[in-house]
Parts: sequence; C-alpha cells; structure tokens
Amino acid sequence: MEVRGVHHAYRRRAVLRGIDLRLRAGTLCGIVGENGAGKSTLLKVVSGELRPTRGTVRHTGRFGYCPQHAVLNDALTVRQHLSFFRTAYRLADVRYAEEVMEVLGFTGYAEERAGVLSGGTRQKLNVTLALMHDPQVLLLDEPYQGFDWDTYQRFWDLAVRLRNAGRSVLVVSHLAYDTARLDELWRLDGGLLRPDEAGAGA
Amino acid sequence: MSFRTAHFTVATRFALIEHGRNRFAMVLVALFVPVWTTLAYLAMPDDPARMRLRATGETLAPHGNELTEISGALNAVTLITGFMMFAATFSGSGFDRRLALAGYPRVPLVLAKVTALALVSAVVAGYATAVTCLAWTPRQPLLLAAALFCAGLTYGALGVGFGSLLRREVEGMFAIVMTSIIDLALQNPVTSSGADAPVVRYLPSYGAMQASTAAGFSSSPVPGHLAVQLAWFAAAALVAVAGFRRSTRSSLSSGAPAPPPRQEGGTVGLPAPRRSAASSPTPPPTPTTPPTVSDTEAD
Repeated sequence: MEVRGVHHAYRRRAVLRGIDLRLRAGTLCGIVGENGAGKSTLLKVVSGELRPTRGTVRHTGRFGYCPQHAVLNDALTVRQHLSFFRTAYRLADVRYAEEVMEVLGFTGYAEERAGVLSGGTRQKLNVTLALMHDPQVLLLDEPYQGFDWDTYQRFWDLAVRLRNAGRSVLVVSHLAYDTARLDELWRLDGGLLRPDEAGAGA
Repeated sequence: MSFRTAHFTVATRFALIEHGRNRFAMVLVALFVPVWTTLAYLAMPDDPARMRLRATGETLAPHGNELTEISGALNAVTLITGFMMFAATFSGSGFDRRLALAGYPRVPLVLAKVTALALVSAVVAGYATAVTCLAWTPRQPLLLAAALFCAGLTYGALGVGFGSLLRREVEGMFAIVMTSIIDLALQNPVTSSGADAPVVRYLPSYGAMQASTAAGFSSSPVPGHLAVQLAWFAAAALVAVAGFRRSTRSSLSSGAPAPPPRQEGGTVGLPAPRRSAASSPTPPPTPTTPPTVSDTEAD
C-alpha cells in the first residue's frame, strides 16, 4: 500500500497536510495521535471511504478495513453477517472467519443478532468482517475498543501471527500502548506523519 | 449458483429479513391499515360527494366515507412503505457502504432493495385492498390493489431518497409524513375544495389516487394513470439510486484492485501462532520503554 502527498480538509480546516506512507509486506505498524489529529480521516482516505482533497492512494493487493465504530446491521445475526461478507469477498466458505471468531472468543454468539450484542462483541465482529478474506493489508482503526484484557491479548497475538505470515497490519490508536509489538510507529501531528520518537521495535 | 446470482439472492434475502425484523413496521401494517381505513369509513358521513374524475372524464357521486376510505388506504400504504424503506436506508447506509467497499457489487444491492420494496408494497397493498373489501365492494378490486401497490412503490423510493439525503431520523419521518399528508389531503374532494385544481396533477400520488378512485366507483380501465404513478416511482427511484451511489462510492481509482476472490475450495487457514518475542504476553497497558531501533523504514 502506498500513500503519497495526501491532503484533506473539512471545509477550511485542514486535517491532513501531506501524508506519505508506504506499508511493506510483513510489517505491523502503528499510527498514534491525539484526539482529532486526523487518524480516522487518514484511514478513511486510505480505505477509499473518503476522497482526499489532494494526493494518491494505491493498493496493490486486497485489503481489509475495520472502521472505528462497529458498522453492522443490527437486524442480522453474526452468522448472517459472515454470509453477507462471504458473498462480498467471493469466498468459498467462512472457515477463516470462524477461526478468527475462535481466536477472539465469540463463536458462541453466531446465532445472535448484532443489535443485542455487547459493545465488545460487536467490535469482535467488526474486526472479523475486516479480515475474514485474509487481506494482504489490514487497516484497523482503534480495533480493541471494548475488548476485555484477555481478548486484547489475543487480538495482538493474532496481529503478530498475521504479520509473521507476511500480511501488513496498520493499527491506528490514540493510545501508544504496546509499541513494543510494532515494527514501525508513526505519530500524526499537525496533519503530518512523523516517526514516533518513542520508536518501535520488533 | 454463480456469484452474480448469489449477490442478488443473498442481498434480497437479507433485505427481507431486515424488513421482517422491523417490528414497529409490522405492527403498523397489522393495526394501522385496518384502524385508519375502518375509522375513515365509519366516521365520515356517507353523503354523496360530487366530483369529476379526470382519469375517466366521468362525473361521479360516491359516498363520502368510501372516498375517504380510499384516501385513508393510500395514506396508510404510502406511510408504511415510506417509513420501512427510510428506516432501512437510514440505519443501513453505513453497512451498505462497507459492503460496497468490501467488493459487493452495487447493482445487485440496489436490485435487492427494489425487490424487497416491491414485495413489501405488494403485501401491504393486498392487505389494504382486502380490508377495504370487508367494508364495501370497490368496482375494480384488482385495480385498487394495483394503484395502492404503485403508490407504495413511489413512497418507498422516496423513503430511500430521504434516507440517503437527510442526516437525522426525525427529519426523514417528518418529510415522509408531511409529503403524504399534503399529497393526499389536497386530492380528496371531501376535505379539499382544491381537489380539481390543476396543480394536483403534479402531486406524487396523483396517478394512484385517480386509479384507485376509478377502481372504487367506475368500471373504466385507467392504465394511463397507473403509468403516471409508475413514472413517479421511476423518478423517485432515480433520486434514490443517485443517493445510494453517492453514499457507497469508493474514492480509490478504478485501477486499484478490489479484493480479488480466493478460488472456490481454496480455503486458507489462519496462520499458526509462532513463538517470538513479539508474540509474548505484555504487561497491562502502561507507557512502554523506548523500543529498539527497527530495521524497517518509516517514511
């Protein structure tokens, strides 16, 4: 995935002022920044949800995007969500998604409607829909909101497993926890992306 | 089943499930249609209301309560289909966008919504016609059902349009209710002295009102006015489709690949856990010490 010279403004308020980013295969990366720094705007631009004022985004493989707020259909069950997105991704089956559900610990909710799930379980489904097609690039916006500690740990283990399998994982958060798990860490500040001084290490 | 067929059938199935789980709409269908039409029939005087039906050129004198009952049935059908489609569009626009960005083709998504709308409209129109026939006998019941169906389609499409364009739920509900009230009140000769005014020809349910009145009190066919109503549906549907296209478009250039399918049967398993420093458990979230320098570039 390659992002070049991306600018974005909401009316006169410039949020992104020239973002350059290259996500290489097999890396686990993080972007941190304060509330309102433009992290979600950047991910929306990168995922194609938002058109940048200027600049280009290029994906060379399939990607998955997990939005900050769980985007689900409250009338449909977890299994129906999987079925809907299986069709979207043109997958032969949902075995991969079921493995992800197993890792995140919510297989017991398969027949529950999204509208009655707890916030944490909705977020697990939100994450599952983003990666059930085994994307080469995974874009995650505050993915562990509402997770309990055990799920939080398993989420990071999953992210590392994906990285080790050659996938690129980009996690955006306003908190700079777990930077030690990251290969690269950037800070979004003033509309620009800079390597975080705290650094990152594998 | 090919993916093209699967896209349509899956989206239609889930659109119908979503409508079926809209309990408030189901209650409206079950109660609002009979209550409103029966009250209109019982509460209004049955004095003859002289009127000239433009659709056939005839001068008619139907009972006022029967005429108002038809207007009530149209009002009930249009409000219910408008509300159902608005609710589904308003709450589902983000989900539709996510599906589209995930690679779901938008044409089958739209066709599924149209199919669901047609089925909902057919059921509600058939039900309203049956309730009408319990109170009195329209001259052409099938034409009445067709007129109600076309009006339901039109307001369903308007509901999708409002759901795409308006930002707050209350705005959409207000828009649907007010549109239906203004639309139908102006055309009812019992309550409006302006029902003969030329401007009523341009109201959203003009064709359905003319056709349903002809169905009630005339034996003349009025295909032209059903066509007028379908033209209103087509126009409203165009606006709805434009709103849907706008809300589900991707900013990525067409050269950017959509997620390509994995081959049928080519299931890939989740990568197995690997023991590494990165995957070892970490303490609860606390500020971490500066990590070692990465061997990756950070541009």
